[in-house]
Amino acid sequence: MKRKAGTKMRYVKISVMAAVAASLVFVSACSDKSSGGSSEASSGNGSNSGSGGQTNSGKPGDPFGKYDQTVTIKIGQAVDPTDKSLPAGDTPANNQYTRYVKDNLNIDTQVAWQAATGTNYDQKVNLSIASNDLPDAMVVNDAQLRQMAKAGELQDLSDAYNNYASEPLKKIIDSTNGVAMKSVTFDGKMLALPNVTVQADGIHEMWIRKDWLDKLHLQPPKTMDDLEKVAKAFVEQDPDGDGKADTIGIVGPQSGGHMYATFLLSTNNLYGFDPIFAAYDSYPGFWLKGDDGKPVYGSIQPQTKEALAKLRDLYAKGLIDQQTGVRKDSSEPIISGQAGIFFGPWWMGYGPLGNAVKNDPKANWQAYALPLDGNGQFSPHVGTPSSQFLVVRKGYEHPEAAIKMENLLLRDESKFDVSVAIGNYPLRIVYAPNDETEFTVKALREVLAGTKKPEDFANNPEYKLLNNDVNTVKKVKLQPYDKMDIQYWKPTADWGVWNRMYSLLVGDAPIVDQPMNKVPSLIYSQTKTMESRWANLQKMEDETFLKIILGAAPLDDFDKFVKDWKAQGGERITDEVAEEAKQ
Amino acid sequence: MQNKGFAKHYYLMLLPGFVWLAIFSIVPMFGLVIAFQDYNPGVGVFHSDWIGFDNFSYMFSLNDSRTIFFNTIFIAVLKIIANLIVPLVFALMLNELRITVFKRWIQTIVYLPHFLSWVILAGILLDILSYTGPVNQVLSLFGVKPILFFAKASWFPGIVVGSDVWKEFGFNTIIYLAALTGINPSLYEAAAVDGATRLQRLRNVTLPGISATIVLLAALSLGNVLNANFDQIFNLYNPLVYSTGDIIDTWVYRTGLLNLQYGLATAVGLLKSVVSFLLITLSYILASKFANYRIF
Repeated sequence: MKRKAGTKMRYVKISVMAAVAASLVFVSACSDKSSGGSSEASSGNGSNSGSGGQTNSGKPGDPFGKYDQTVTIKIGQAVDPTDKSLPAGDTPANNQYTRYVKDNLNIDTQVAWQAATGTNYDQKVNLSIASNDLPDAMVVNDAQLRQMAKAGELQDLSDAYNNYASEPLKKIIDSTNGVAMKSVTFDGKMLALPNVTVQADGIHEMWIRKDWLDKLHLQPPKTMDDLEKVAKAFVEQDPDGDGKADTIGIVGPQSGGHMYATFLLSTNNLYGFDPIFAAYDSYPGFWLKGDDGKPVYGSIQPQTKEALAKLRDLYAKGLIDQQTGVRKDSSEPIISGQAGIFFGPWWMGYGPLGNAVKNDPKANWQAYALPLDGNGQFSPHVGTPSSQFLVVRKGYEHPEAAIKMENLLLRDESKFDVSVAIGNYPLRIVYAPNDETEFTVKALREVLAGTKKPEDFANNPEYKLLNNDVNTVKKVKLQPYDKMDIQYWKPTADWGVWNRMYSLLVGDAPIVDQPMNKVPSLIYSQTKTMESRWANLQKMEDETFLKIILGAAPLDDFDKFVKDWKAQGGERITDEVAEEAKQ
Repeated sequence: MQNKGFAKHYYLMLLPGFVWLAIFSIVPMFGLVIAFQDYNPGVGVFHSDWIGFDNFSYMFSLNDSRTIFFNTIFIAVLKIIANLIVPLVFALMLNELRITVFKRWIQTIVYLPHFLSWVILAGILLDILSYTGPVNQVLSLFGVKPILFFAKASWFPGIVVGSDVWKEFGFNTIIYLAALTGINPSLYEAAAVDGATRLQRLRNVTLPGISATIVLLAALSLGNVLNANFDQIFNLYNPLVYSTGDIIDTWVYRTGLLNLQYGLATAVGLLKSVVSFLLITLSYILASKFANYRIF
């Protein structure tokens, strides 16, 4: 029922977007009028914005200083329609987090607009960019940041950042060796606050039903051949024991989902085939160093054709979900206990597994850094540390207010009662040291093993949740502490804590324990020509690959794709990437 | 005959319509200039760089543009034909029913889907035609392997047209039924006295009686030829069926709104508008010629 309500809401949102989109021509026309107005307004305010910010704040330069007079910030907000954690009476616009911000900083967050997380939110952001009708602050992605920078819609945050960003925040941003800062610097101006995520978000693993493996007396699949055997057994040998041939081997991406993470969306891809591609040494969507040292695009390499051939074969044999690419929501078969294997990052305890275990307490989902490639190694691609950007509208009087809110979040997140989803914190972007999850897993293991006490981890403020983690882990983890199967957990004790602990101790364990050969992309943002040509190339790629896998087009269409890709701007873009990768 | 005061009332009643038209249709037309610009939302229409016909030449260089124009016209024409014939046949059949209660009942049932939005209907359709949905379950009884309808590009136009007819034929039926009631019953009686069978009565009395309505609807629908229905297709399609299902409107939406290429999207939209304008003019001429339908 819950899910249905969410879906319905999404449909409503989509229909609204659809109506809006149908009149794109009109929208762009209206933007003309509003841009005339607001650009005047912003130039008027822009002149005094630098000093204006400092006059009203309690102590100038204090990262946590409370304003004397209430400062209002209008934000664009992403809302998770499936989130049921808000207590009655609270809303995404008014909840414990917004009140916390008000009480501590005297910043009143008002919602300019809301949209469902994901595609809907992106569309709403695009629309507000196109119409130049911007909230005071919002969170955008790389392409949107670039568009806004080009359009001159953004406030220079250099001063606000230097004067107001807290030390831990600066430390985390600096920990990326300049990558995060470079991604938001345009002509020497800092036009956004970059987030920094854990590296683990960009590594995709294999999640598999271990209870099914045990029942059929199988081992976790190490190679692609093993994977095929296990998937075949999952499909044919009725692992759920209901006497019906209704099980799915490998779950694939949903309609509108991605088959693999790309250099633009390099982290947190759910239900894609990333590890399978990696097993063939194929990194579609990534910019790699070629044999001659020049950049090459992963999607047009022969290894990718090989991987596609395998996926096509698996699909034809019925081992990959037959509704891949068409399904509305790929989490559905996982939650309902129909599927045995999927690929995703470490945090699936926060993802579909919570509901999967609620439905079937014996659903023993475990994570592995598998399948291995031809050299017997796990060689995942890794993402960029910064994929979300907090931007402030040009001319907003208090650009530092947005930065103060992130200071506060970083300092106090561990104190929050996270049974209310943290996504409700206004303008939240993720700040985590690159190795946060790995560090936490090691700490948790030591606490569970009794070799260290929770108090021993009191002095690591940059690992903001660590303190809370080491103190609560025993709430949901049953003895023996070194066994991670689902029967050694007690999720009902506190689902919020379980989501995190299971994600860490099960989901992140392979990343801690298994040596990996990490493959980064040469670049993680768009070049000049991409702004106009990439959408078309990307569409061609998605369409061709999905058709090949689902058998709707012959495998050799890949060669035609490579030729077309090069001809339709790919070659020029490759040159630009070479240019940019040099810097 | 009428005094001038009376006519003024009419003009006053037109006013809200004109205001609406001006705000939502005429003023936004100026936005079309961004088809000739490297549009930058930050500086607006007046300060964006002019790039002439670059957007148009890029548009024609894309393989996509041929596909989407073809798809749009193909799907729209199929819809027009189907939406003309199915309701007509249905209205004629309904007209032959003599049990009024039964007739009203059917009329209401088939009319209902018209009120549901495509968002809801698409959800229902996706479920019905899914891999484990009722259609495939029935097919499996006959030993047919399950078909993934929405993954087959060749099926997609059929599904789109079929579902559109299902949604709208009840509504269009009513127009024909209204025309049918306008036929003088004495003509039927006279035909019956002359010994005409039901079929002969249909051919010689009913069809000539509503032919003007048929021609009028056909001619008017021509103006809609490039509106293959964004709502419907947007809610049903996926990358697998782009080759037969992607239409101008969905393409413009993806390119313009999702990929931030406003100029290009507007150029395509503009071309669609120009062609639509020609077709509307044509359909008006046809309507005035064959059905004597005139506005001015």
